[in-house]
Amino acid sequence: MTTPLFLGVLAGAVLSGTSLLYATLGETIGERAGIVNLGLEGILLIGASVGFAVCAATGSAWAGLGAAGLAGGLGNLLFAWLVVARRANQLASGLAMLLFGLGASALVGAPHMGAVIAGLPKWCPAPLARLPWVQGTTLFNYDVLTWLALPAAVLVWWALFRTRWGLGIRAVGESPAAAYASGRNPAALQVQALAAGGVLGGLAGAHLSLSLTLTWAEYMTAGRGFIAIALVIFSKWRPLRAVAGALLFGGAEALQLQLQARGSEVSPFLLEMAPYLLTILVLLAWGGSRRLFAPAALGRTFYGLD
Amino acid sequence: MKMLTIALSALACTPGARADTPPLVIGAVYVGSINDYGYNRSFHDAFAKVCKDLPGTRLLEAENVPESAEAERIMEGMIQQGARLVFPTSFGYQDSARRVAKRHKEVCFEFAGDGAATRNFGVFFGSTQAAWYPMGVAAGRMTRSGKLGFVIGMPIGYALGNVNAFEMGAQSVNPKATTIVVVTGGWSDKAKEAGAANALLDQGCDVVTMHVDSPTTIIQTAEARGAMSIGFQSVEARALAPKGWITGLGFNWAPFVAKVARSVLANQFRGEAVYQGLGEMVAMAPFGASVPAGVQAQVNAAAAKVAKGFNPFTGPLKSNTGSLVLPPGATVGADQMGSLNWYVQGVVGKVR
Repeated sequence: MTTPLFLGVLAGAVLSGTSLLYATLGETIGERAGIVNLGLEGILLIGASVGFAVCAATGSAWAGLGAAGLAGGLGNLLFAWLVVARRANQLASGLAMLLFGLGASALVGAPHMGAVIAGLPKWCPAPLARLPWVQGTTLFNYDVLTWLALPAAVLVWWALFRTRWGLGIRAVGESPAAAYASGRNPAALQVQALAAGGVLGGLAGAHLSLSLTLTWAEYMTAGRGFIAIALVIFSKWRPLRAVAGALLFGGAEALQLQLQARGSEVSPFLLEMAPYLLTILVLLAWGGSRRLFAPAALGRTFYGLD
Repeated sequence: MKMLTIALSALACTPGARADTPPLVIGAVYVGSINDYGYNRSFHDAFAKVCKDLPGTRLLEAENVPESAEAERIMEGMIQQGARLVFPTSFGYQDSARRVAKRHKEVCFEFAGDGAATRNFGVFFGSTQAAWYPMGVAAGRMTRSGKLGFVIGMPIGYALGNVNAFEMGAQSVNPKATTIVVVTGGWSDKAKEAGAANALLDQGCDVVTMHVDSPTTIIQTAEARGAMSIGFQSVEARALAPKGWITGLGFNWAPFVAKVARSVLANQFRGEAVYQGLGEMVAMAPFGASVPAGVQAQVNAAAAKVAKGFNPFTGPLKSNTGSLVLPPGATVGADQMGSLNWYVQGVVGKVR
C-alpha cells in the first residue's frame, strides 16, 4: 500500500517540524526581549544529548525529557549571564554558545552513544487510527511533544501578548530604557525570557533524540537551530505564525525525501537544497521590511540609564 | 562544524609501555566517534584487539577528526608521540595522509580507501559491493511487496555499487524486485534518515536497508512501523529489530591489522593495495528469527559464491536509464568501485 504524496509530506512535515517549532518558539521569546541567540543550535544539541544520556542511564524517557528542558534552560542562563549580566556582544556570545554546545553535547553523549532506548511513548487516539487514510502512515501516532506543539505555540502567544509579564518582555525588546523608566527591570525580564526560551530549545533537541531518531550522534541537529532562527524572522516574531513556518520547512525536507522515494527525476542534490533555498527566499522577501516587525532594540545591549 | 569538536584521546594498551624497547605505537584516526556502533567502532575494535593480542604494541586514537588540514596536524602529532604505523580510516583523509607520508618516509601508513600504494603507504578496504549480493538475495526472498528501500548518505561510487549488487541479488531470486534509493545528503543526519525511512515505508517498501554511518535510526524506524531491515556497518544492530531483522554486513579488520602490525615490527612493511571481500574484511551478521531455513540456505549459498570470487558486476549490464554500461564480459573490480556512476535496471533513483 502506498501513501499519497500529500499525506506523506504532511506526516513528514509534522515529525520534522515539531523540533523546529519548539526551537522557534524558544528563540522568539528571547528575541521579543531584545536578545538574539545565535547559539540556539548549541542549545538544541545540549537538549538532544542530555535527554538521550539521562534516558539511557535511567531507562526513563520522561526523565530524559525533563533533564533536556532543564539543561536547555541552564544553557540559556549561561548565555544570559554573558549578554545580560556581563553585557557581552550578543552575536559573539551566541557563536561561543554554539561551539560550547557542540563540545558539551559531545562530551555528555559520548558514554551513551549506541545505547538502545525505548524513547517517548506514542499515542494514536482510536477514532483517528481507524481512518482509512491514516492507516499505514505515521499520521496522528505522536509523542507528547508533537501533541503539545500547537498548545505550546498558543501558550507562548498567550504569555507574550496576553499577560503583564509578556507586555514587559515586549517592552524591553522595543525599548529597555522606556521599560526601565516605567518601573520594569529589563535585566530580570531578559534573563527570564532566555530561561524560558532555553527550556523550549532543550525540548526541541530532546524530540530529535528521544522520539524521532532514538539515537545520539554528534552534531545530529545538522543546522536545524539555524533554520529556527530564520523561522523567527519568517514568522515575524509571532508564535502562531511559527506553526505555519515550522510545517512549511519541515514539509520542504519531507518533500524532497518523499519525491526521491517516488523515483522523481529531479537531482537529489537540488532537492537537498530546497529547505535552504526557501530560507533564502524568505529572508529576501522579508528582508527589506524587517524593521516593521522586529523588536526595535533587538540585538542591542542595554547599559542602563546611568 | 565538526572541526571544532576534536577530541584527541590516547589509550595505552600495554600499561607502562615506555619500557626499554620502544613499542610499536599505532595511530588510529577516526572521522566519527568510536562509540557509534558502526564504521568507526569496527576499526576501534580491531585496533584494540590487535594491541591486546600483539605484545609490544600501543594504540593512539583520535576521534572526530575532520577531513581537512586538521587531519594532517593530528597525524603529525601522533608521529611526534612515536607512532610508526598510522591508520587514517576515513576516505577523506587521502590527501592529508599522503602529504604526511611523503614527509615521514620512516612511518608506515595504511589508508582505508583507494588510490596508489607507495613504499610506506598501503591502501586497503573491505569490498562490500559484491557482499551486498547475498543481502539482496535475502531481501528478495523476504519481501512481500517486491519493493526494497535503500537509504544512502551520499551518492558516491561505493554506495552506488552497494545498491547495485543488492538489487542484482534481489533480482536473482525475485525478478520483479525493485530497490528505491533515497539520498539524505550526509552520512550522519539522523532526522533525515528517519524521514527517508518513513518516505520509503510510505511507498510500500517492506525491507529497508542503508549505507550511512550508523544504522540505528533507520532500523528502529522500520521496526516501529512493522517493516523488515538489513543492517550495515555493525553486526550488533540486530538488537534494534527483534522482529524485523533479516541479516546484515559488518567489517572485520583485525586479521589485516594484525598482519600489517607484524610486518612493521619485523621491518618488512611494504605498502600495497589490499581489497578483501566477504569472508575476509567483510562479515555477515546472524539471521533474524523470522528468516526461514530455506532462505538462510539460499543466502549462505550466494555468500559462498561471492566469497569464491563471483562478481555480480559482470557485463552485459544495463543502467536504469537504459544505456549499456558494461559490455558482455566486462567487469567492474573492487578497486574501480569508487568511480562507478550508474544504477542497474530495477533501481529507482537518479545518480545526480
